[in-house]
Amino acid sequence: MDMNVSTVSGMSVITLNGRFDAFEAPPLIKWFEDNVTKDQAHVVVDLGGVGFLDSAALASLVKGMKRCRERGGDLVICNLQQAVRIIFELTGLNRAFTIAETREAALNAF
Amino acid sequence: MRIAIVSTYPPSRGSLNEYAYYFVDHMRQKPEIDEVILLVDELPEGAAYPTPPEHVKIIPAWKFGALDNAMRIRRAVQEVNPDAVLFNVQFATFADTRVAGAVGLTAPALVKQAGYPVVVLLHNIMETVDLSKAGFGANVIMERVTRTAGDMFTRAILSADLVAVTIPKYVEILEAKYGATNVILAPHGSFQDAPPPQFDPNPSVLRIMAFGKFGTYKRVEVMIEAFKLLREQLPGTTLELVIAGTDSPNAAGYLESMKQTYADVPGIVYTGYVAEEDVARIFTEATIVVFPYNSTTGSSGVLHQAGNYARPAVLPDLGDFAELIREEGYTGEFFVPENAASLAEAIRRYWDNPEKRQADSMQNYLSSVGIPISEVVDWYLLHIERLLEARAAKQPS
Repeated sequence: MDMNVSTVSGMSVITLNGRFDAFEAPPLIKWFEDNVTKDQAHVVVDLGGVGFLDSAALASLVKGMKRCRERGGDLVICNLQQAVRIIFELTGLNRAFTIAETREAALNAF
Repeated sequence: MRIAIVSTYPPSRGSLNEYAYYFVDHMRQKPEIDEVILLVDELPEGAAYPTPPEHVKIIPAWKFGALDNAMRIRRAVQEVNPDAVLFNVQFATFADTRVAGAVGLTAPALVKQAGYPVVVLLHNIMETVDLSKAGFGANVIMERVTRTAGDMFTRAILSADLVAVTIPKYVEILEAKYGATNVILAPHGSFQDAPPPQFDPNPSVLRIMAFGKFGTYKRVEVMIEAFKLLREQLPGTTLELVIAGTDSPNAAGYLESMKQTYADVPGIVYTGYVAEEDVARIFTEATIVVFPYNSTTGSSGVLHQAGNYARPAVLPDLGDFAELIREEGYTGEFFVPENAASLAEAIRRYWDNPEKRQADSMQNYLSSVGIPISEVVDWYLLHIERLLEARAAKQPS
């Protein structure tokens, strides 16, 4: 999986591409641990390039969201492919995360 | 947040006690938790619950087999007045008799009626329970009656705010049959956050291992031919082929015939039956685990074991097998079934590339252990917080 981080309007945007599973989750968790601070707690995760994710991947996003919220920010997810959207719905996490249709909408969600 | 959990708990021997132990131990350590109140079953006379850990209170509030469990649980919840109530249950949690078992399962509905947010972690569903094995179906008519009653009590459970199950098929069944919209899939979680076994990037011996019962669809001829090729290709390397296991019950004498056929090939070890206490050693001593299958019937328990011990896997490229194992998160090097040269090449790809061997071993390990229960607890807390927020939003300001 490819992971690219950019800054847009002062917010971090993480773009993920490829299979997102137990093997790929640790670098994302580390990124959250190293980079989410009280001054930088708004994060967008663009999953447009992810066609599959497993429970470990979801757990890493939950961890990231908790970290953002604990520091006064939030984590917004966007661009879900249909297969990934179904996994979010199946696990009920679509009700726990803020999910935006597009990256622009995600950036405006804060 | 104060959470009441209705469950069995050690030293009670009721089912799910171990799950509750780990779940509670992680939940009590979460910063958002002030107290976990365990509403547990009464122990037999003379037995007692141990002093609970910090932030945990244990209250015996129901008795296995009793008819008044649901009412008692509701009363206990009202007395401790938690922010939310979580039930860790399966169909036979409250009794092994039909009536008491079913009445106990109305507890989530009663607690919700009393005004508390209720989440049920349901470990099985009636539709997939073998009633005769569970002690609920003495004959066909009684089994039908039990299933009809089971439908009613499943609906009672589904009146909870949220019902979590650990198998995707359960979500499908509950949504399709009962029209449920409050059922979610939650990972079971692994009990221990165990570190992976040590990985030796430069072993002095290339030890290839196959594990199982041989002679039907698991056959060793092609693997031995591949081993012979590797011996020629790697003259300076010590090679060993470990065939761990016995004949399949349907192929008596198979391994003995292989021993005779390949008696001239040095370096092959036939372990015979592998006792439970030797399984870990057999796997951790292997450099590479080979799956010499010419057909499969689905996923592979041996692959799960290989993952548990952080081993790289060399697998046959068979039908949906590759796709299936990738969906489960595992990986490996693939070979053309029944092709010794292809198998030897797949083994070489790992042997010549220690970094890939290590990376794939780690991936298999992570896939086998799933996510730790500490992270599963976060999911539940997230859902409970959402329920509490929704309730707060509904209340007039």
